[in-house]
Amino acid sequence: METPAPDRTQEVYDVLKYIIDPEIGVNIVDLGLVYDVTITDQEIHVEMTLTTPGCPMSNTITMATEQILLRKFPHRQVTVELVWTPAWTPERISAEGLEQL
Amino acid sequence: MATASISNSPSKWVVLPHYAFAAGAFLVLSILLLFSTNAFGGHYFHPKLLTLTHVAVLGWATMVIFGALYQLLPVVLDCKLYSEKLAFYTFGLLGVGTILLAYSFWNFSLGLVLHVAACCLLAAFVLFNINVIQTARKAPKWTIEADFIVTSAIWLLLTGFVGLLMAINFTNPFLPQDHVRYLQLHAHMGMAGWFLLLIIGVGSKLIPMFLLAHPEDTRKLNWSYNLINGGLVFFIFDHLFFRSPLTPLYAALVVGGLVLFLLFLHDAKVLGHRKDMDLGMKQTFLALALLIVPIVLVFLVSTDLGLPQQVLSSLYLVYGLSIFLGFISALILGQTFKTLPFIVWMHVYEDHVGRYKTPLPKDLFNTHLLRWQNISYLLGFLLLVVGVLWRVEAVILAGSIAFCLAAILYTINVFHLLVHKAQHLTPFVYGNARA
Repeated sequence: METPAPDRTQEVYDVLKYIIDPEIGVNIVDLGLVYDVTITDQEIHVEMTLTTPGCPMSNTITMATEQILLRKFPHRQVTVELVWTPAWTPERISAEGLEQL
Repeated sequence: MATASISNSPSKWVVLPHYAFAAGAFLVLSILLLFSTNAFGGHYFHPKLLTLTHVAVLGWATMVIFGALYQLLPVVLDCKLYSEKLAFYTFGLLGVGTILLAYSFWNFSLGLVLHVAACCLLAAFVLFNINVIQTARKAPKWTIEADFIVTSAIWLLLTGFVGLLMAINFTNPFLPQDHVRYLQLHAHMGMAGWFLLLIIGVGSKLIPMFLLAHPEDTRKLNWSYNLINGGLVFFIFDHLFFRSPLTPLYAALVVGGLVLFLLFLHDAKVLGHRKDMDLGMKQTFLALALLIVPIVLVFLVSTDLGLPQQVLSSLYLVYGLSIFLGFISALILGQTFKTLPFIVWMHVYEDHVGRYKTPLPKDLFNTHLLRWQNISYLLGFLLLVVGVLWRVEAVILAGSIAFCLAAILYTINVFHLLVHKAQHLTPFVYGNARA
């Protein structure tokens, strides 16, 4: 297992900023939905949540996350894990996200 | 760490036909209103008013609520809808029942067609109850929102049952009391039991979600549930068996429950991180503000103030108008453009997100039409209320025309959404998206 380069992780976050929550109109990173990113030479693992359990967007957002990362990093396997703990709260929105609201 | 499940959303064919039918019913309602201006001069038990009321509550409000609820129930309860097949049958029965009922009342033909209509509607409500209760049984966590929604479905069934009894009673009188007494019972079960509880159950989940607020204290909602149900049950028993002068007290219980819900929403608004409200939310808050009219009127019509019969009749009519064409219609007009664009977007763009640049749900409908829809609706409603209170037919007609315009704009926007298709999508390039 190689140690990921820190700028690679940042690159993943930058790419995920292109995914906009369709209802709120703010990207999923600034909304605080992305909890953790792990990247190696073989794979990318994203741990994320949604604003509410039962959200009908669960398929759409996880699929979009997977697709956009595959386009940017075509030689890595991408897995997106949706979790409910810790529960998302509006306090997780970044300063940039709050400005966009 | 709890891993989330996949989406619980039902097929679009379960949800979208309800919006299409409801938009058509709203248009028909506004056209019927144009031809009913002479019906607002007397008692509310009038063929045209019965038609308008039932087209409004069944074809328009209940139809759109059923559709929206099939989409929202999985969100509120965090589980899949029990049966999409049941939802299709419910839609058919509700649609047929509403059309037959409207035909019967408009022509005041109170025989077989009316009986068939009432049976279709009751069957629709039975199937709806099975679907809601069975879905709720699968919910991983029971919430106060689930209490409101399940209880509202039961009240809807009871309302339909009383309606069927009244339909039979027209041709085969068997009910021990005056028909109007059952009509009052039927109307209030529907208004407070079905609509109010359902709106609170869904609204207490959705409105904070749209405002980006997470109020955790549900004590206000718990008491709201107890007060509304308590007030309604007391009212029904008293109305049937005692006829005491305590009706204003029961009204106060229901209003108290409503006020607690509004306080809960106020808390959510204070906690909310989303200060900029779109047109859909503005219309929603307008609907909540319009509640002041029926809240005041329920005490005026239920207290013996010695008002002249003509004034009392007008107040009764405005009371009904302020609930069906006021609060409930305003809320649907606003929430349609918070829910439908999202549903359409999800079904059209689900497979394209992340690979192509896609519009947002708010880009799928015409905002100018929505703004003018909201303006013409409010103007129409205010003119109708003034016209009915003053008994001026020309003002009622002006209100009906404005209302008709609102319905046309609403229908255009809804069908524009329903036929939306993905076109000319450009592949995702990191330089051309909103970051």
